[in-house]
Amino acid sequence: MSTPKPARPRQPPKAPGASAPSVAAAPPHVLYLHLHDPAGRGRLLGAEPYGRALELLRGITPAVEPLPPDAALLDVRGSLRYFDLDAAGIAQLVRVRVLANLALDCTAGVAANPLLARMAAHGGPPGAVRVLDGDREVAVFLAPCPLLALPGVGPATARSLAGYGLHTVGALAATPLATVQRILGASAGRRLHERAHGLDPTPVTPGTPSRSLAADQDFDRDELDPELHRRALRGLVEDLGARLRTQRQAAGALTLTVRYADRSTTVRSRTLAEATAHGAALTACAYRLYDALGLQRARVRAVTLRAEGVRPAEHTTHQLTFDPGDHRARRVEDVTDRARARYGEDALRPAVLLTA
Amino acid sequence: MVFTHLHVASGYSARYGASLPQELARRAAERGLDALALTDRDTVAGVVRFAKACAEAGIRPLFGVDLAVPEYTGSGYASERRDRSAEPSEPAVRRRSPARGGAFVDESAPRALLLARDRAGWAALCGAVTAAHTGPGPAALDWPDLARAASGATASNTAAPGAIASNAAASNAIASNAAASNTAAGGAGAGLYVLLGPGSEVGRALAAGRPDRAARLLRPWRELFGAALRLEVVHHARPGTGPGSLRLAARTLGFAAEQGVAAVLSNDVRYADPGRGRIADVLDAARLLVPIDGRRPTALDGGERWLKDGTDMARLAEQVAEAAGQGRDGGRRLLAATAAVAEGCRLDPADDLGIGRVHFPEPDQVGAGHRGADRVLRSRVTAAMVVRGHHRERRYWDRLEQELGTIARLGYAGYFLTVAQVVDDARALGIRVAARGSAAGSLAVHLLGIAAADPVEHGLIMERFLSERRAALPDIDIDVESARRLEVYRAVFDRFGAERTATLAMPETYRVRHAVRDVGAALGLDPQTVDRLAKAFPHIRARDARAALSELPELRAVAAEDHGPLWELVEGLDGLSRGTAMHPCGVIISDATLLYRTPVVPTPGEGFAMSQFDKEDVEDLGLLKLDVLGVRMQSAMAHSVAEITRATGEELDLDDRAQVPMDDPAVFELIRSAETLGCFQVESPGQRDLVGRLQPQTFHDLVVDISLFRPGPVSADMVRPFIEARHGRSPAHYPHPDLEEALRETYGVVVFHEQVIEILHVMTGCGRDEADEMRRALSNPDRQGRVRAWFGERARERGYGPEVLRRTWEILAAFGAYGFCKAHATAFAVPTYQSAWLKAHRAAAFYAGVLTHDPGMYPKRLLLADARRRGVPVLPLDANRSAADFRIELVSGLWGVRVAFSEVQGITEDEIARLTAGQPYTSLPDLWQRARPSRPLAERLVQVGALDALAGRAHRRDLLLQLTELHHQDRARARARAGAADGQLPLLGAATGDAGHPRPSGLPDLDADARLGAELDILGLDTSRHLMTSHHAFLAELGVTPAGRLRSLRNGAGVLVAGIKAATQTPPIRSGRRVIFTTLDDGSSAGLVDLAFFEDSHDRCAATVFHNGLLLVRGTLQRRGPQSLSVVGTAAWSLAELAELRRTGGLAAVAARLAEDERGSERGSERGPERGARTPGGGVTGEADQGRGPLPESRRIHLATGYELHPWADLQPPGRRTADSRRLWHSSPGSAG
Repeated sequence: MSTPKPARPRQPPKAPGASAPSVAAAPPHVLYLHLHDPAGRGRLLGAEPYGRALELLRGITPAVEPLPPDAALLDVRGSLRYFDLDAAGIAQLVRVRVLANLALDCTAGVAANPLLARMAAHGGPPGAVRVLDGDREVAVFLAPCPLLALPGVGPATARSLAGYGLHTVGALAATPLATVQRILGASAGRRLHERAHGLDPTPVTPGTPSRSLAADQDFDRDELDPELHRRALRGLVEDLGARLRTQRQAAGALTLTVRYADRSTTVRSRTLAEATAHGAALTACAYRLYDALGLQRARVRAVTLRAEGVRPAEHTTHQLTFDPGDHRARRVEDVTDRARARYGEDALRPAVLLTA
Repeated sequence: MVFTHLHVASGYSARYGASLPQELARRAAERGLDALALTDRDTVAGVVRFAKACAEAGIRPLFGVDLAVPEYTGSGYASERRDRSAEPSEPAVRRRSPARGGAFVDESAPRALLLARDRAGWAALCGAVTAAHTGPGPAALDWPDLARAASGATASNTAAPGAIASNAAASNAIASNAAASNTAAGGAGAGLYVLLGPGSEVGRALAAGRPDRAARLLRPWRELFGAALRLEVVHHARPGTGPGSLRLAARTLGFAAEQGVAAVLSNDVRYADPGRGRIADVLDAARLLVPIDGRRPTALDGGERWLKDGTDMARLAEQVAEAAGQGRDGGRRLLAATAAVAEGCRLDPADDLGIGRVHFPEPDQVGAGHRGADRVLRSRVTAAMVVRGHHRERRYWDRLEQELGTIARLGYAGYFLTVAQVVDDARALGIRVAARGSAAGSLAVHLLGIAAADPVEHGLIMERFLSERRAALPDIDIDVESARRLEVYRAVFDRFGAERTATLAMPETYRVRHAVRDVGAALGLDPQTVDRLAKAFPHIRARDARAALSELPELRAVAAEDHGPLWELVEGLDGLSRGTAMHPCGVIISDATLLYRTPVVPTPGEGFAMSQFDKEDVEDLGLLKLDVLGVRMQSAMAHSVAEITRATGEELDLDDRAQVPMDDPAVFELIRSAETLGCFQVESPGQRDLVGRLQPQTFHDLVVDISLFRPGPVSADMVRPFIEARHGRSPAHYPHPDLEEALRETYGVVVFHEQVIEILHVMTGCGRDEADEMRRALSNPDRQGRVRAWFGERARERGYGPEVLRRTWEILAAFGAYGFCKAHATAFAVPTYQSAWLKAHRAAAFYAGVLTHDPGMYPKRLLLADARRRGVPVLPLDANRSAADFRIELVSGLWGVRVAFSEVQGITEDEIARLTAGQPYTSLPDLWQRARPSRPLAERLVQVGALDALAGRAHRRDLLLQLTELHHQDRARARARAGAADGQLPLLGAATGDAGHPRPSGLPDLDADARLGAELDILGLDTSRHLMTSHHAFLAELGVTPAGRLRSLRNGAGVLVAGIKAATQTPPIRSGRRVIFTTLDDGSSAGLVDLAFFEDSHDRCAATVFHNGLLLVRGTLQRRGPQSLSVVGTAAWSLAELAELRRTGGLAAVAARLAEDERGSERGSERGPERGARTPGGGVTGEADQGRGPLPESRRIHLATGYELHPWADLQPPGRRTADSRRLWHSSPGSAG
């Protein structure tokens, strides 16, 4: 798949642990890749091109950690020799390959650990390769970053740190560890303090993504009618269920997001008793989620249903029952799926979804 | 064909009826109806206006009410409310409380209609409404109360006259009438008719196809009301069997025949005219808080519920009868039964509601049992004459005799004693009381201790207040401390008893902003859009929405948007009721029959009994209304005096002339310097300008000053001649030497009502009482001609020449209604003087008072800046020194003001009490443990530096960190406690070990900007330094002139000024234009810059000025006098926006913004001519500041005085009048918390 490059003198890697523990004790070897539309139109990456991109990346190195829906971490230590390039060179190579093969652009960060690689990728315009190398460079890069740029710092943590006059990563790094721990607690304080210094011990772990599927429906008016809400949910379940079953996947949990007229939202999740793609189980779960909200006067503008923890169906278990109804329902579902596959999506639908 | 609508809801049914009673009465008359009922939902608030409107339209009014009556549950009387569809056997469904959006408004209770047949019925009806409103939740009449109303209708026949008999003076008519109704009332339920319609439980059972159940449900009603029970047939041609359907109407008619109960026909009216169904839909949506759902026609109004005429109703009757299989005859019987009910309702508004008669408290309530009120009054005032040392003066005795004679002949002695009693009770509680209004002109009122100023000394006359020629009830208004107003109310309730006392209702009607919000929500518009639209409007009537959109420059952007039917519906809501609040100042004091004449409902919050009638209604009902106004300045002065006593031990009495003489030169010097921020009545920008020009020397000058600063005198141009004459620049003119005495005090200018009375008295020789009647007639253009003829004739007879007559009449006519009552001005001048005295002599206490009770038009931060400017130290919040209110404190020989805990955002009264009770504290942990503040509160206290004194070397961020740890320790301890079942305390060595000063943390301390930001966020006050100082560098870059430097510039110089908006007004002015007056506080030593924007600049500036707190303004300097200086604005920008651009993008970004603005205004003036087509002469820019107004002439309001008013002047403009200091600070990453 790849052609060897002309030989180039390889930079000798720094011996780990040779000097005092420092950020860039290791040379940059972690790539963070953010895949996106070359025109920068901000379209979401589909699951399918993302899958092909991962395949391509695994051709560079087996150590690919997918970060769906549109990013991945690569550990390229094993490939340096093969390609006879440094990590930055490999990043350039990846970018060219992705562009040529998939018509996708990517933004890459190259550094000694996933944290820095990710921040480097996010710390500038898209469609570039940014390298962080050396203690000084890392410190200079990190110091002015807002705390929110640091992975693991959410709005709440950022707010609480801002209350103490800490707004940038540099300020956090300059604060004594004991003080940070007094603010955030011992373990969280230590973790963030390390991160503020650019330290991140987590390795790149290859694996397959835990995926999720979503379907949503907007209402064109403030919708209060619970019947219509439920009908919308039923339609979303149909949609999700069909997609799961055709992909031979099963969902472990459902998340319901309701958006209201004032643009606020309520989010509720529920884990299914067993991972499933069976319509009846998903519907029951979705209705329970909805009923738990107890909405009366809420002006609903949209509902989104997301299947979480999607995994291959063959890895799931199914509790058999003595109730023949359950079995029949599944058989019927098989039949309708097949009918739809043959005659189109609208060939067979639950009666409740028929609109006059 | 005559028909009487028995079921009619008006706009007084909150968010239900879509037409006001006046409109209903007028339409009924136009459609040939000769009687009409008013049956509002849960209220009778509209009856007085309805009765008057009916009298005007020439139809007979019927009175009733539509009440919710929860289902009868068979075994005993249960008040449980049930779901609409639930069968009695089914347990009520408990619904989960919604995660968002709230629960549905419960309107499931069935309803019944009560119609009053006579006075007893009215009393029962009042009782029923009162009972329906007791208890929590929506108004509903429980069965025991319904039963009481049914029997009470007869019982009250004995009770009411019994009570009335004790009040022999009040009315004999009542007794005889009651006797008459006694004979009319026979059997149970007499006095009332009860109509059960489609909304009743019987109607619902019929709609559900359950006549068996309907029959069962009808039984208890029959037992209670017998022959007075009717079934109501409503035919709105709706489909199905629901309410308004022909099938239900027919079923009801059939069921009535079967049960032997008479049926009547109604149209369940909600609006006067066809086509208003959509307004009803909006009202339903606003009441139920859901959007209109056009997909379900049954949920919509349908458009049939208007005031149909007799022919229409006869046709409907026929259809129903036919559908019920009763043929033509059935229809006729239905109509006859309806007419019979209308005929049976014989309540007379004048005799039975008490309209036009007076109901004073019984004499024994004011200590005048057998002696008679007149004698008691006489002895009280005579004693006061001696006490005040007037008993040797003949003129006082003459005056008193004359007043007492008038009072006795009018029979108002009881009234005077009642007010005196209330004032005495309030004083006994230690509450400051002052009189206001024309009552201050009466010597008796002064002697009773109600009014402080001596009317004889100040030349006030009684006739302006009370005379035998005046039909209206006299009005004695009293001002009390606002903070203790409710205590006075409670004292009144205690003194006169709950059966004689009630507070007044104040209907909240739709004006444009609420209408926009409710219509927007009903139509399901985007909430953010609705909010923006509502806030864009000034506070105007809803019906003017579209006119305002086309005429007001600040609405131009909004007017260009398309919002479908929004504006039309907004205008349709105008004036309709959307709820009721307690009137802020009225109390009714009547005799023991009060509750038979008015229903009372509890006020939300305080729980006072509140009459459903409003201020005007109770006057018509002859109920004695006492206005007890809460005046915050009185509270402020009380607080100042209390602080002086607390801090220095000095016992100050502001009303004591020995301690506070009324001719203190220092006080007048202060007033003349126009540094009157915080002083009563003389602090507005206009007033500061006026006192600067008028230069008051005496108390009387203050009285004149207060009288002059009114829209009337300003528009009648009394100010300039007065000031010219006063400063000797022009001689005083008198039309005739005889008038010199009356006009000398004001240099020949008519300022006071009293002077008009005197002129008429002198020139015509009529009595002063008659002169006062003529003065009132002057304000009425229709009656002015008659006054003129009368005046000319009488004055000619007394030998005045035509020239004198002409000139005098000119003055009188110009005066119109727009003078001011001298008695009122005198009463007002007293607190004005007292507050100025405090400011001059006890500045720190004065500021403590006004800051605590926030009496004026300016934000507190401006008063704080004023204090700093006048050398009163402002002391920051301190956990050990601050109190609930602002306090005075001696710091290095100066009295300073200490910021109060109550200013801290989100602090509760309990927290304040704990904080002050625990003082002093030694450390943060000490405060945390003993005062137990919430964590956010403790953080706020730390951020504003309240604990700096306790921190030792640690700074505020160290304290915040310590606080976090204290919080975590508490939680850990709580968890441990919850875990330790044996109750053993966990080891807490580590926690208790670091009590005291916190360890240094290595965190940066708050910088100056962060401190200021915290102060503004948390206190809304810039206590450490002036907010504008943080912008000074940028302002210097821009070349902004500080307020202090303006005086050195020449007239007409072009300047750039900036500051925080301190006040905005669009007052009515003489030229009939709309001028926006703004005051900016720029933080310099001179303080304030007054700005005026004329109409030619409104296109560019109005929206910016109204909606921004920090402003940068370009303008030209205008001098009007030595103390009077203002800037005429030509362009305005949001300073906050520019400063942010400066901070983020440097001067280049600012320049880009300004350049863009200039291009925008170029385009604006190009568009000018198009706009001109809509509004002639519109948008002409580039002219001098007094450019032509962009208004068509016809829209100007022409006053009888020959002056014009701008139609949109004198409104509260959109946006905030003053800057919201909590929002002035940009929420940059530099701000704390």
